[in-house]
Amino acid sequence: MIDTAHQLGGRGTLFPGAPPALDLRGIDKAFDGKPALVDASFRLEWGEVHAIVGENGAGKSTLMNVAAGVYAADGGEQTIDGEARSPRSPMEATAAGLGMVHQHFRLVQSFTVSENILLSLGRDSKIRTPAQAAAAIAAKAAEVGLPVDPARVVADLSTAERQRVEIVRVLLLGARILILDEPTAVLSEDEAKMLLSFVRRLARQGHAVVLITHKFREVAGFCDRITIMRHGKTVMAGAPVADIDEGEVARLMVGEALAVSERPLSRPGAVNLSVSGLTQKPDRFGQGLNALNFELHAGEVLGIAGVGGNGQEELVACLTGLSRQDQGSIRLGGRDLSRASPHDRRKAGLRIIPSDRFEAGLVRELSIAENLALTQVAKGDFGGPFFLDRKGMRHAAAAAILSFDIRGASPERSAALLSGGNAQKVLLARELDAGMKVLVAHSPSRGLDMKATLFVRNAIKQAVEGGAACLLISEDLNEVLSLSHRVAVMNRGSIAGCRAIGDVTPEWIGALLAGHV
Amino acid sequence: MFDAAFLVRRQAPGPLLSGACYAGGLFVGLAISAILLVQAGVPADALVDEFLVATFLTSDGLSQTLTAALPLVLVGLASAVAMRVRFWNIGIEGQLWLGAVAATWVALGGIGPEPLRLPLMLVLGAVVGAAWIALPLWLKLKWGVNEVISTLLLGSIAFLLVQHLLFGVWRDPATNFPVTAAFPEASRFAATGWGQLHYGFLLVGAVTAALWYLLDYTRVGFYADAVGHNIKTARAAGLPVGATVTGLVLLSGALSGLAGVTIIAGTEHRLSQVVGNGYLFSAIVVAYVARAKPVWVLVVALALGAVFTAGNVLKVFYSISEGMIVLVQGTVLISILMAQFFSTYALSRPS
Repeated sequence: MIDTAHQLGGRGTLFPGAPPALDLRGIDKAFDGKPALVDASFRLEWGEVHAIVGENGAGKSTLMNVAAGVYAADGGEQTIDGEARSPRSPMEATAAGLGMVHQHFRLVQSFTVSENILLSLGRDSKIRTPAQAAAAIAAKAAEVGLPVDPARVVADLSTAERQRVEIVRVLLLGARILILDEPTAVLSEDEAKMLLSFVRRLARQGHAVVLITHKFREVAGFCDRITIMRHGKTVMAGAPVADIDEGEVARLMVGEALAVSERPLSRPGAVNLSVSGLTQKPDRFGQGLNALNFELHAGEVLGIAGVGGNGQEELVACLTGLSRQDQGSIRLGGRDLSRASPHDRRKAGLRIIPSDRFEAGLVRELSIAENLALTQVAKGDFGGPFFLDRKGMRHAAAAAILSFDIRGASPERSAALLSGGNAQKVLLARELDAGMKVLVAHSPSRGLDMKATLFVRNAIKQAVEGGAACLLISEDLNEVLSLSHRVAVMNRGSIAGCRAIGDVTPEWIGALLAGHV
Repeated sequence: MFDAAFLVRRQAPGPLLSGACYAGGLFVGLAISAILLVQAGVPADALVDEFLVATFLTSDGLSQTLTAALPLVLVGLASAVAMRVRFWNIGIEGQLWLGAVAATWVALGGIGPEPLRLPLMLVLGAVVGAAWIALPLWLKLKWGVNEVISTLLLGSIAFLLVQHLLFGVWRDPATNFPVTAAFPEASRFAATGWGQLHYGFLLVGAVTAALWYLLDYTRVGFYADAVGHNIKTARAAGLPVGATVTGLVLLSGALSGLAGVTIIAGTEHRLSQVVGNGYLFSAIVVAYVARAKPVWVLVVALALGAVFTAGNVLKVFYSISEGMIVLVQGTVLISILMAQFFSTYALSRPS
């Protein structure tokens, strides 16, 4: 049974006259000079479920991490239950009655549930043994109606069960304000419903709950009020859910950045990459892929937008050849590459910029020259099988460093010492070579500063103008919109829709991102 | 007191700092060892004599050090080539035993014409050593079976096979001891006439040079480093990951097998239950301290050979126990490894 929503809609709080559970005003926060929060605000009342929505990088999680003492704000004020407090650590936040369940769980895999909770209770708690902890867990779980078995080992638990352990832990630590960061992203539909109903019950018992989410459906069905964030700012503060519709939320989330004009292809070319029926079964690592179809033309950027974790990693891995699809085909310029090795795919002209540069792009421990030569040694560019021309590698690297303006780099330096922007330039210098026909770029400007971002985007633009095709997969909507000729949206391993850039509207993209088709 | 100290990774430790750290570690290790030995009854003024003069500066000592170092170089290289692709070959002794068994079979059976007897022993020993590591390699590539366990256990199996043979068909008919009969001349490395040193040193030198060239001057070493440091990137870049791993791991087994042949054809001239003991740990230590670089393997193996020689001298002349010798070796190595750690990390205290 689900409580009907909107009970509080427009009628203030369950506890009129009580101070707000959490109040954040004028919060600023920058990382390495890059602003993440600009004058952000948020107000949470006792007894409500309050949704914070916004696209990736809007600052939702950052703001809540400030509230929970994970990050220290650069400026602004915070009150918890009417008292001015800015917790300087998660422990202080817990002591003040505020607990956060993060997207990535923080549990020791080889410990049982009791042991994990005992671990976080600390030495001040009266609970000192696993048996006492088990009893406390069982009591708390029964009290709030959340099934948790204290005796089980965390490694054996499903994602939903682990999440319940995290919630019970936070409640046992005394939290009356509960912040859940994208709790349903990792859950099935039924599990999500169960969690959301639980959250409502908890709020009715007098707790206050913050739900960070992308999904409007959850907001509409289970939340009392909604706060919308964009680019680190609060663009709508605490509106009753009853008074707002989906279209408006989508518009506010995405903003005016979408005012894009037609971007006609300079030289519309033949089909370069064609992917049809690409399918991979979901597993415990991800969504899998569900019969993806798309074609990529020479001289074109096809942008794939979407919330992270909807199959983007799997798609890139299948295209690179690092994992094998269960069904479907990949063709490049008429050649069937469905079962080809990464080496053969490269030979056919496929180039990859992975989302994590040092995971599948560069080798931290090797020098810049070696990283630049990584894909060329096998072709015999630096000597035959019996001699490796390291001098040639250094010369080529020096030339690449010059032409890609890689600051402070020398061929012999270890790649580990490069800044994010310069590492990405090294990767671009290697991948954007003469043989490139199709470039698959996954979040190519993630974590880069303005200047490096611009450089990366220009490099992609130039490559495409030179006749290559680019598949741009990104969780950053701005990036997709600033480069693409066509935009597709990925959701739960499928392509939910695809339009020419001129036809993209905030309502359309907002609805597809949220998974409403 | 140590609440607020952090280990900070040094960005790029220079050769000077690394060198100083190694030298410092060696010095501290030797100093502690000296204290231990004096404590155990070795006169303090005799220490320099035994450690330096007897091991490097006398003709006998030097030849003994070189002889002891030969198999150490080979097993050190065996450990190093596998280490380069992050394959932990803990079965070096097993491959060594089986290489020795194969060579013994050729020697005792008089297989092949006499001039080719020794080459045949070497080739067969290497092949069998490689075959013995092929199984764990296959298990790892096919199902991800942890090679630490599988190579270690196969090592024990190899030793049990040796015992089975020595207590059975190969038992020395002359003495009835569980050792084989002495090998005929054709199955031995010729003696150089300088102490115990035999012409196996040419083979070991050639193998080291070949590996040094292979790993430093051909694409093999380049691939190995990419695969060893970041296998996912190596795959995505289209490098021959499978071939590199397979090739170097089999080479590791072959080198171990070759070490076994070198021991029995060079110094022992028969197979016994003790010829392969202790080489696993020495191999790992040599490869680790040498950071898996062939040239440094040679240097470290010589140093370890010297420690063995010095240990023998101490045992004989000062009746220092075997345990004491191992303790001294361990002290020196631990000090060097700790120094190596501090050349990569700095201890820092936030103000």
